[in-house]
Amino acid sequence: MDENIPDEVLEIFTQDGVLLTTAPAAYIPYINTVGTLSIVEYPNSNLTRCVEWKPIDVTIDSDMQDQEWQVVNTIAKRHRSLSGNFPVEVGHRSKYLKINMNEIKSFRVTTKNQKLAFRDGKGDCICTFVFQHGNCDGLVAVLKGIHKTVVSRRDKHLYCIADDIKNPERQQLDKSFAELNLFQEHSSDYVWKFVKNFQNRPYETTMEAFSKITDIVYRSPDHRLLDNEVNDILNRSLEAIEGNTTTHSHDEYEVVAHVPKLPERKDYPRGRPLSLEQWKALQDHDGQVEDIDAVKLVIFRGGISPNVRKEVWKYLLDYHKWDYANNEQQNLIKQRNEEYFIMKLQWRSMTKIQEDNFTDYRERKSLIEKDVNRTDRVMDYFAGENNPNLQVLFDILMTYAMYNFDLGYVQGMSDLLSPILYLMDNEVEAFWCFVGFMNKVCSNFDVDQAGMKEQLQHLQTLTAFIDPEFSNYLYKHDSANMFFCFRWLLVWFKRELSQQDVMRLWEVLWTGLPCQNFHLLICVAILDTEKNILMENNYGFTEILKHINDLSGNIDISAIISKAEGMYNQIIAAEHLTDSVRFIIGLPMLGNAIIDSKEASPDLSDLAPCSTNGEVDEASYESAISNSFL
Amino acid sequence: MSARVNMRPANKNTLLKVVILGDGGVGKSCLMNRFVSNHFDEHSFHTIGVEFLNKDIEIDNENYTLQIWDTAGQERFKTLRTPFYRGSDICMLTYAIDDKSSFRNMNMWKNEFLYYADIKENTYFPFIVVGNKSDVLVEEREVSQLELETWCNENGIASCIETSAKSASNVQEAFKMAVQHWLRAEIRADRTECTYSDTVDLNKKQSDSRSSCCTGASED
Ligand SMILES: Nc1nc2c(ncn2[C@@H]2O[C@H](COP(=O)(O)OP(=O)(O)O)[C@@H](O)[C@H]2O)c(=O)[nH]1
Ligand SMILES: [Mg+2]
Repeated sequence: MDENIPDEVLEIFTQDGVLLTTAPAAYIPYINTVGTLSIVEYPNSNLTRCVEWKPIDVTIDSDMQDQEWQVVNTIAKRHRSLSGNFPVEVGHRSKYLKINMNEIKSFRVTTKNQKLAFRDGKGDCICTFVFQHGNCDGLVAVLKGIHKTVVSRRDKHLYCIADDIKNPERQQLDKSFAELNLFQEHSSDYVWKFVKNFQNRPYETTMEAFSKITDIVYRSPDHRLLDNEVNDILNRSLEAIEGNTTTHSHDEYEVVAHVPKLPERKDYPRGRPLSLEQWKALQDHDGQVEDIDAVKLVIFRGGISPNVRKEVWKYLLDYHKWDYANNEQQNLIKQRNEEYFIMKLQWRSMTKIQEDNFTDYRERKSLIEKDVNRTDRVMDYFAGENNPNLQVLFDILMTYAMYNFDLGYVQGMSDLLSPILYLMDNEVEAFWCFVGFMNKVCSNFDVDQAGMKEQLQHLQTLTAFIDPEFSNYLYKHDSANMFFCFRWLLVWFKRELSQQDVMRLWEVLWTGLPCQNFHLLICVAILDTEKNILMENNYGFTEILKHINDLSGNIDISAIISKAEGMYNQIIAAEHLTDSVRFIIGLPMLGNAIIDSKEASPDLSDLAPCSTNGEVDEASYESAISNSFL
Repeated sequence: MSARVNMRPANKNTLLKVVILGDGGVGKSCLMNRFVSNHFDEHSFHTIGVEFLNKDIEIDNENYTLQIWDTAGQERFKTLRTPFYRGSDICMLTYAIDDKSSFRNMNMWKNEFLYYADIKENTYFPFIVVGNKSDVLVEEREVSQLELETWCNENGIASCIETSAKSASNVQEAFKMAVQHWLRAEIRADRTECTYSDTVDLNKKQSDSRSSCCTGASED
């Protein structure tokens, strides 16, 4: 037996009473036979998805099947490519007529939706089915969930599959530059996953994924393509949980939105900055800081006074250790001093020939040179030609590239270093503090930008949870990718704020209070402040990007921190707090809001703005589901 | 389409999306700022993420709104930059005449653009090559005019120009040239459309969607 045969089969969709009316040569004997039509997936095979049809109670003997395949290959030329992709299978599935999804380029639905023909895109029909019980709406809905489809402009009964990038229809669609596929997966994949799970575990799947799917249908950038059938099915299933959902019409779609309210947002006025006296009082006679939490709380509430900031930053950035006594601290400083100069010497002692033979190094060096010349030159500290501080900035970045060779230098790092160097005004101290900061944000500079993409997705999740209406708006305006926050996140608002403000914000964020990823809530708070302008002007992706880029210099950071704290408290008090949100802010997860982990990529769960935790009768649920699918 | 930014009562206004590509530090942002606000800042920040500016210009009695996109050049940011190439009408490939390696990298930029902008094979796309920093001293020059022209010939690119964002030399001209070049490519495409009736549908849609920002042509 062939070992490559996929063993695991997942049935995504099945319908009985389907008559085969046109078929590849091998199946001519079964023309006008009634059978069962399915869409199946072979997770362990590169075949992945197929349309299968099996005659009722008829066993095709496998000898004959082999013969038939040979016949196909010799007589029916136009089916050759097709048959080449047919898996020759053993076991019970061998009697199936099987069409690899990849072969299907379009399908045509006629005769009151009772007849469906799969086509190969070259003008030939692969096979045709007539649906004797009911119609093919359910199948069409599933197909649309699996593939992007567009209705042909020439033939309104013809649905073209637009997944294939070589498909000319698809190319047209993709022309829209606002359609930023940053997150790789298409929303149709979510629908498809949903539909698949729906079949397997209808109750749980729906309870968990429900809001996600409605949101996708409602807000997907591809909403043009996910039309009526998918919506219908979702809506029909939803009627069963009418209890705590509301149905209302929006544009051409019937939209079901379940939007639990967050508790009211309270005011969290900012406190006074940590003063020198307070700081002294919090240290014991030996220099150890006893109550670290208390220090951090004061800093979170009000930041640090300028006259003690330099000292405290060294602790926040792990250059000094909170619990070290004075002598231990001194030893550490000494050690780090030496370490720094060893690393610095490594690149300073490169000979000209070495450099000439080391392209990577040269490129790195040249980029650092260029960027140092373009970093905060309006600040007195870095202004003017031949400013020695530029040299220090350069040296630290070069040394950092030796310290962390894999990461090297990435644009944005000079922005993170500049305020630190300005405050420390000391090369070694600035270096080690910069190392501490980089340790917190190094994923921003990942080679594949995975860290940035993840943050954008988390931001999307938080926005959807806190403000579903605004989140809907963004979806409908091709902006759910949150790309316009990229600069904020990459350099922690450095380009948006004055030097003083950015120092205040950073020290607040370094405390790690009140939760992990609080900087994302800062983003949500700024967006909340701007959303009325965005929505009233009906801004699309480009205008939003422009508006956000132009905010630079116009952000009241104290008010924003207060608002973000208010939002944090709303979130944790929310009854419908989901695991995806818990995960982002670092709360333990409860394990009830994420879809089957095998199915759920993190971004899938992230699309969830809200989960339904209403009490719904399982039986009524299942009946709704069978109504929709059979 | 969200690209419609300025609704103007003018009779016709064509919106063109221009993408400026090239190595970090060749002066892309400076070129854009010189063109849009006639301003040069020696110590402006390096670009993070993606920025764009709009600028209205009139060429041969036609009004155009150029939407100029400027991105961060470092390889690291490739995945976040390339989605913006889609739907471009013009691509400006830039290098600095005092930086040979930025000149050599134009191949890479051209290929990256063609790949991610999803340009159909065998279609002509209006590129323009810009050698910036023409103000630098002769002894600092690393790329000659001749090398520029040769490269363009080899790559089938019909327009190239040396500019200086610093001294405001040839910057307006470069953008004007780019638009004129685009126009020629459009006319050529229209002709093809008439010859091959099969392709009418596709081409038609393309020119429809970009023809004017006042009509607000909707999808399909
Ligand atoms: N001499 C000279 N320098 C320029 C010119 N254009 C830009 N620069 C300088 O080149 C550096 C990089 O410019 P920038 O626009 O930031 O480059 P980008 O990374 O391509 O956007 C800046 O320091 C500018 O001052 C120019 O025309 N002549
Ligand atoms: Mg730039």
